Amino acid sequence: MSTMNDLGEEETQKSKSLVSLEDNTLQNDEEEKRALSDIPQIPQIPKVKAKPAPKPKKPPEIPIFERKNWLIHLHYVKKEYDVCKSLIKEQLTETGGMCEYAVYVQALILRQEGRIQESLELFQTCSLLNPNNADNLKQVARSLFLLARHKAAIDVYNEAAKISERDWEVVHNQGICYLYLKEYEKAKECLKQAIAFARHDLSYIMLAKIYLMEGDINQAIEVYKRAVEFSPENPDILSTMGLLYMQVGQFQKAFEHLGNALTYNPTHTKAILAAGSMMQNHGDFDVGLTKYRIAAQETPESAPLWNNIGMCFFGKKKFVAAISCLKRANYLAPFDWKILYNLGLVHLTMQQYASGFHFLSAAINLRPKYGHLFMLLAVALTHLEDPDNAKQAYEQAMNLDSRDLSIPLNYAVFLYNQGERKTAAKQYAIYEHRLKQAREKNPKAIDPELLEVGTKLGPALQVGESLVWKKEQQMAAPAEQNTRQSPPAEATGPSVPPPSATFQEPRPLKQSAPLAPIRGPSVENNNSSDVKSEENVAEVVPKSGLSGVDDLPSPPTETPAMNIIDDAPEPPSHDPEEKDQPRIPKREVLPPL
Amino acid sequence: MTSQSTTSKDSIDATRDDGKWLSAFYDPVASLYTFSQCITLSDINADGDNKLIIADLGTGSYQMKLKVYKGTNLVSENTLIDLPTGVATFYMDQNEPRTPAVAVASGPYMYVYKNLRPYFKFTLPSLEINPLEQDVWNQVRDERIDVGVLREMLEGMRAEGTSLTVRSLRFIQLQAEDLEAFANQYKHTPLKKQTVITSLGTMKKSLAEEDAISCLVLGTESKQVYILDPEAFTVLSTMNLPSVPVFLNVSGLYDVEFRIIVACRNGNIYMLKRGTKNARSCIELNSQPVGLERMGKNIVVGCMDETLQCYTTKGKKLWTIKLPASITSMENVDHKSKGFKAVMVALSNCEVHIYKDKYLVNIIKTEDIVTGMKFGRFGREDASLIMTTKGGGLIVKILKRTAVFEEKDATAGPPVSQNIKLNVPKKTKLFVDQTMREREHCVSMHRMFQHDLYRLRLDAARSYVKALETSMNPVSTNTTEPLKLSAQVQGIGPTFKLTVNLQNTSISTASFNLLITFQFDDRLYNIHKTYIPVPMLVPGLSYAFETFVDCLSDKGISDTIKVFVLRQGRSVPIITAMISMPVSETMVVV
Repeated sequence: MSTMNDLGEEETQKSKSLVSLEDNTLQNDEEEKRALSDIPQIPQIPKVKAKPAPKPKKPPEIPIFERKNWLIHLHYVKKEYDVCKSLIKEQLTETGGMCEYAVYVQALILRQEGRIQESLELFQTCSLLNPNNADNLKQVARSLFLLARHKAAIDVYNEAAKISERDWEVVHNQGICYLYLKEYEKAKECLKQAIAFARHDLSYIMLAKIYLMEGDINQAIEVYKRAVEFSPENPDILSTMGLLYMQVGQFQKAFEHLGNALTYNPTHTKAILAAGSMMQNHGDFDVGLTKYRIAAQETPESAPLWNNIGMCFFGKKKFVAAISCLKRANYLAPFDWKILYNLGLVHLTMQQYASGFHFLSAAINLRPKYGHLFMLLAVALTHLEDPDNAKQAYEQAMNLDSRDLSIPLNYAVFLYNQGERKTAAKQYAIYEHRLKQAREKNPKAIDPELLEVGTKLGPALQVGESLVWKKEQQMAAPAEQNTRQSPPAEATGPSVPPPSATFQEPRPLKQSAPLAPIRGPSVENNNSSDVKSEENVAEVVPKSGLSGVDDLPSPPTETPAMNIIDDAPEPPSHDPEEKDQPRIPKREVLPPL
Repeated sequence: MTSQSTTSKDSIDATRDDGKWLSAFYDPVASLYTFSQCITLSDINADGDNKLIIADLGTGSYQMKLKVYKGTNLVSENTLIDLPTGVATFYMDQNEPRTPAVAVASGPYMYVYKNLRPYFKFTLPSLEINPLEQDVWNQVRDERIDVGVLREMLEGMRAEGTSLTVRSLRFIQLQAEDLEAFANQYKHTPLKKQTVITSLGTMKKSLAEEDAISCLVLGTESKQVYILDPEAFTVLSTMNLPSVPVFLNVSGLYDVEFRIIVACRNGNIYMLKRGTKNARSCIELNSQPVGLERMGKNIVVGCMDETLQCYTTKGKKLWTIKLPASITSMENVDHKSKGFKAVMVALSNCEVHIYKDKYLVNIIKTEDIVTGMKFGRFGREDASLIMTTKGGGLIVKILKRTAVFEEKDATAGPPVSQNIKLNVPKKTKLFVDQTMREREHCVSMHRMFQHDLYRLRLDAARSYVKALETSMNPVSTNTTEPLKLSAQVQGIGPTFKLTVNLQNTSISTASFNLLITFQFDDRLYNIHKTYIPVPMLVPGLSYAFETFVDCLSDKGISDTIKVFVLRQGRSVPIITAMISMPVSETMVVV
């Protein structure tokens, strides 16, 4: 047990022999000298052998192998790797490479420096030095994981699990390995087990990620709910949860979570963007802009951010500023079709139809199956006095989008102005049909401006039947939706019929028709664009999220529209700007010179 | 401002640190190599004047010293034999005057100094030796087995994962001829297995008074925590941990109830209570702890991933703060007279942040990275902060008596950046003019553009067809002659070197009977070899053919040279390359 003796005497000698690690029994002077001459850090056996070693002589004490471990560890946690390395080197020469912890820390440092293969070899040495230490095996497995040898890593983790039971780290990392091996069931199982062993943010996040990869947003939200319970102040978790709620359309909850995230970290860019886009949706452009100012300081080179700022200015009718911001966004992310879409939209509003046409056709090249884009292109072409191509573009838009109200309405307006009453009436019927469907679904989501234009166009087309139907509709409408829009609609409705008036009507109609759809898609579009790029940043929301994120009108239309296109390969030349086709365009599309 | 401080410190500079701290002393070359655990403040002479006691690690292998500062003067230096792990002062008896003893942990020993005189040396109890190992060494001593056998047995034991004594480990490493001597030298001394102290703390024994007798608490490399009796230096209690302790935080009284919070090398934090033998797992951290402090009932941990985290003792996470740089040291601030409790965190960006709960209340900027800190009574000043730096400096700061820390977040409210205007790119008048022009003429602009675009495409398509027809392209489209041609020109003139690289791109078919020739303006250029016969081309390899080209003109004009690859007997080239010759330097006639 503990040895206790008077230190006083020994202390006098101690000052002489600085380096010797003397034992606690007293020593005579002779030994003292020998100890000094030998510098017995590492005992030099040959010299000792040369002496006639009588029995009572006390051999120099061998330094303990672990004696500097604490110092190595202290320097390691302070990230003073240089000091650490030299200490390790000293320690390893002193012990002949037998100091397990020194090798272990050296391997950790090598890994930090990115030399994973070398660190793996050192960890393997560690597990040879001490096969009973689970940490060594865990690190070997981690190195294998970093080298993308997932299967081997899982095996080593299994070994480690034998030594250390109920270990969160082992099970969690196994789960991650399975995730990369795309064995999602096993991965989920492991992560759930890991959460049962010990709760960590990381396990929750990874588990939710797997659910998202499988497209199960509700399960992912459940997982995040539990994560928030465990760690209520993590802004990353809160903002991701907000985004997920946005995807499933629970905007109230989404806003709540994003707000919480911003309370804990007011400069959290991801939450700022998401919350800002929601404010934009509600028309709070000034509030949105103040929030974006913070984000602009944090991430001045974020394309979605500048896109959203641009659309805020657009909402505030500051078109020049909007164009500036959108162009910056486009400069930062030239292949983002949503920014191009917005640019096209702003240019159309600015009556710069030629520029608008170019941005829209660029957007179509990047995303050829989105009906709205073709509609906007058609609007641009109408103003560029190219009715043939405009018609084709409208047709394409109709093919691609089977739900949207604005497309058939605008098409009908266009046809009406072209004097094709019959086809216009046909499109108008489609519009009314869709309107009916939309009313059944969500009466509040319908843009009042659309309704207004619709009610004006109906009588102008003199579709008797639909007029009657419409009146019924108008009667019913006030009951379910805000009465705000209906009175003017009713007022204009009966006043139109005189044929002389029909000629004047189209003018304002034509002006407002392209504008009508703008509000709707623009804001929600930029919102979705921002959420989309969030995915890239957060990497939590997988690709499948995109269609879900394009909320209100588009998400359901997305899939059917694609099916239709894939079934019937479209005729080639509806769009004269198909840049990637090297063929010479058809004659009839050529504009008159 | 300065007059309120009654200290007699030599240099007082109140201009820095936003007026809360007085800079009392700064010696950048104090050559101290130490950590927070090796710094302590105590009235070791019982004269009412608190001294600063620092265990200096010297160079890391030599010059280890126990230094005592009175005021800013070094008053005493005691040599230490090995690296000090920690320093603590404690009252070990009831004698008057009440002088505390200084305990220095170092290797397997605990040195106790009284009145700065060596007083005791305590050795950690030896660990249990594997009976088989003990047995084989005994057999060697009795000369029943040979050293070779000994070595084999020890190696076998090591391979099985048995923990051996240093002597055996060293023995295994020796060369065969040294074994005998080593064994002879050591076999008569008893085998022992020692461990190293890794952390040190003190705990009051039965009374909570300032000068009550305290026990020493030691954490060791053998994953144990010992509590020592201060009078008899016997082990009062031994407790086991799952990993090696790094930081200890002790609270309570040994005889009543106590808690020891231990941060371990496996990144976990454990809790030890009175009467338990084994630790209760408390918190699993995601990264290694760099410091551990207690704030009332909560545990504040600084981690390697640049975060400061707070947990309840039950292990529930309360908050996490992301720090701007990595942590180098942590210290508890307990300013009793003001009732101010906070945590100090030294960062690698030469700042010390003070957190009251999760709110940052003060930042101290230093000249160097702080590696060790101690807050407490120094001299006669209650609120002094001692800092040692990475470069070996010593800083002493005093908290002003008027200083008040606002106990809320200094960064609360909307961030500053919210008031910075957005940097929206400005548009020029030209832009507006162009916009107006487009509005007026958009239809004609559009048509013009479309028209030109078609023309461009038509031209491109025509040239392409033409090139195909005349084999003017450098990659052969003919499947029977899959060739690739590239050419380069070297030199500055008037003589250039033209290198033609020819490659057969087919997988298995070799090409025969090819030749290279050139078309050029013979008034401008003279090509040395106008006809180059091509040998058989093996698929995949690139062949280089060279010729010299003289530029005949000194007017600084250049032209293109066409390279044709032909099949013998056919006039239509297989492939062609166009080389734009560089403008030649004129011949310098001396």
